Amino acid sequence: MSKIKTSNNQEEVKAVSKKKRSPWVEVWRRLRQNKSAMFGLAIIGLLVFCAIFADLIAPYGIDDQDLRARFITPSRDYLFGTDNFGRDILSRIIYGSRVSLQVGFIAVGISALTGGALGAIAGFYGGRLDNVIMRFVDILLAIPGILLAISIVSALGPGLQNVMIAVGIGSIPSYARIVRASVLSLRDQEFVEAAKAVGANDFRIISKHIIPNSMAPIIVQATLGVAGAILSAAGLSFIGLGIQPPTPEWGSMLSSGRQYLRDYWHIATFPGLAIMITIFALNLLGDGLRDALDPRLKS
Amino acid sequence: MRKNKKLLTLLSMMLVLVLVAVGCGTSTETPDTGDATGEVKDTLIVGQGADVVSLDPHATNDQPSSRVSKQIYNTLVNQNEAMELEPGLAESWEKIDDLTWEFKLRQGVKFHNGEDFTANDVKFTLLRALESAKIGHIVGAINPEGIEVVDNHTIKIATNEPFAPLLAHLAHTAAGMLNEKAVTEGGENYAQNPVGTGPFKFQEWKTGESVTLTRNDDYFADKAKVKTVVFRNITENTARVIELETGGIDIAYDIPPTEVSRVEEDQNLVLLRDESLSTAYIGFNAGKEPYNDVRVRQAINYAIDTDSIVEAVYQGVGKAAKGPLGTNVFGAHTDLEQYGYNLEKAKELMKEAGYENGFKATIMTNENQQRMDIAEIVQNQLRDINIETEVQVVEWGTYLDETAAGKHDMFILGWTTVTGDADYGLYALFHSSQFGDAGNRTFWSNDKVDELLDAARVEADPAKRAEYYSEAQEIIREEAPWVFTYNGENLAGTRKNVKGFKQHPAGHHKLVSVYFE
Repeated sequence: MSKIKTSNNQEEVKAVSKKKRSPWVEVWRRLRQNKSAMFGLAIIGLLVFCAIFADLIAPYGIDDQDLRARFITPSRDYLFGTDNFGRDILSRIIYGSRVSLQVGFIAVGISALTGGALGAIAGFYGGRLDNVIMRFVDILLAIPGILLAISIVSALGPGLQNVMIAVGIGSIPSYARIVRASVLSLRDQEFVEAAKAVGANDFRIISKHIIPNSMAPIIVQATLGVAGAILSAAGLSFIGLGIQPPTPEWGSMLSSGRQYLRDYWHIATFPGLAIMITIFALNLLGDGLRDALDPRLKS
Repeated sequence: MRKNKKLLTLLSMMLVLVLVAVGCGTSTETPDTGDATGEVKDTLIVGQGADVVSLDPHATNDQPSSRVSKQIYNTLVNQNEAMELEPGLAESWEKIDDLTWEFKLRQGVKFHNGEDFTANDVKFTLLRALESAKIGHIVGAINPEGIEVVDNHTIKIATNEPFAPLLAHLAHTAAGMLNEKAVTEGGENYAQNPVGTGPFKFQEWKTGESVTLTRNDDYFADKAKVKTVVFRNITENTARVIELETGGIDIAYDIPPTEVSRVEEDQNLVLLRDESLSTAYIGFNAGKEPYNDVRVRQAINYAIDTDSIVEAVYQGVGKAAKGPLGTNVFGAHTDLEQYGYNLEKAKELMKEAGYENGFKATIMTNENQQRMDIAEIVQNQLRDINIETEVQVVEWGTYLDETAAGKHDMFILGWTTVTGDADYGLYALFHSSQFGDAGNRTFWSNDKVDELLDAARVEADPAKRAEYYSEAQEIIREEAPWVFTYNGENLAGTRKNVKGFKQHPAGHHKLVSVYFE
């Protein structure tokens, strides 16, 4: 531990003269030492691979119904069995990873961008603007996330796009608060003053100096947020408000398997496992990233 | 982090709540089953899939409510399990002229509040029913001016036009006889304090949970065999079956098709399967291109394998429909030729209609598992004739509004011919005067069919009526405003010691003769 610390200090000293390649390489190095985080990362990598090459990997199509081959339990032809329409569950889970990852990343993108921007503005300018924005965020925070998502989807109608928007809006507050907090602590630091003195405008100061320096908490929050978003989307689909058939979505697969649970366990089990493992992996990675980005926490 | 913690607290609180709820649930149940094993069982517990909406028969027309109302109220005329008409509160009836019927009422019948049942109650009930937005259509043929009280136990009822199926309509559970005094006194709370003449009296309604009825010891006919009937609301299909298996309930209504074999194989249970009066269909919006082209409609009929839908969606319960009516409805044409799955023919028809390359369509339905499943299969099968469909699952109210307004392409819906008469099963669905909310959501019409339906409605001779209906059904089948999909079955399960339970095709099963062995 102490070795890491000293090298860290040395690097900081060096950083004045040789600026490049310092922080992120160090983060990666620390992350690599965390076995569970790497395990999480490996699973996420596998998922991304599945999502990209779904067409090549999946043994069957998304909606290849074979009404004569319904309810086949896991076997050699159908590794995870078939569902009530005779569709291969493995293939649908593989294709489903596309939907889930898409929802996860885009929803987080929406909330991180808007939340981050709101928080940065609020924190940087302070005063009345800060008050207005943060009270708005408080209002959002007062409504339970899933409830907010349900009402947004009911208003906009179901579908992939609307689910992403709904889930995204639901988690804007946490980003706004995180970014605002770190902006507040950065605002009066010397390098910001220096930038001001040189004559940089506000936009440049926020985007070039403040945001990059408050990335660490956002990254951690976003990684955990992806997990939350996937879970929310699955939840929405489970109650029929999410992605519409025949698009395979893990939540809706789980939901439709529920009615056959007593006779055919495999229909609901595998999508459920897929959700579980993905969320688990993202959480491991998120925890690992937090430790890696904030060494103080560790000691 | 803080949010996570909040979430955790929230979750743990929810968990505690759930545990408490579960704890309460079991603690209220135990005495029931405890009683049962002890002495002679005289409480019948029925599980159904939804709570009662109202026990005022004029305030609702939903199945769970009607199933309870059936025990509390009597109708003038009864329709037995074979759909034959029998005397009810009316001992006899007679047709005086084309429009007017005279009913002789049973004497000495008392309402649960002690009032005598008289012709005035009949008049009051029918006039009140006519005003109802929910069930007004069931008695809609009656002319409000034409209800004439002759004496305390004789009443004349006239219709606006000759209306052959009047008796079947008066046998509908929604036409149960109310007591004028009870309704007036009850006011807005009448639905919570219903008063009828039936074999069971209302005792208690725990909203969302159960309705309890007790035996009416002054019942005019054979008294009920059990002392108490409890209708429990068990929404989840599987949970209802598990309750039946474990003896928590004695009768379970609406066994889901997926659980049929399980109930059948259980030695402690009996499965009842009877053809119902319900049908499921996929309707086209014939007021819109390309569904105004009969060839397109026929092509889709050929392209959808309804037999496989029955297999996959209903697990083989019920059968693929040949025409618009189930075979046990009076006037049903039983020899219609089923369209059947014929992809070649479908493609040919699409080509003839100029849609060889297909088109895009939406299939609208509500959140009903079976309908959503049908939609997914149809979506898949229509791809073979190049029709790309999008499935839209909408909320029930929206669904009815949108389809009534003609905003749809195709939709999946069901119809139950509760009166067991072809008039109820055809007129509202295919007559040109019934476009939109009234029932004809396909906006399809045919002059000849209009004519036949009108004629059959006023014709007194059953044989002639059946003939008219047969012809109408042939045209409807040929013109295919629907994909004729499915004729249903009523599925109920009982414990083995439950005797005397029979299913009524309309789904409102009588419990008066049920007993334990």
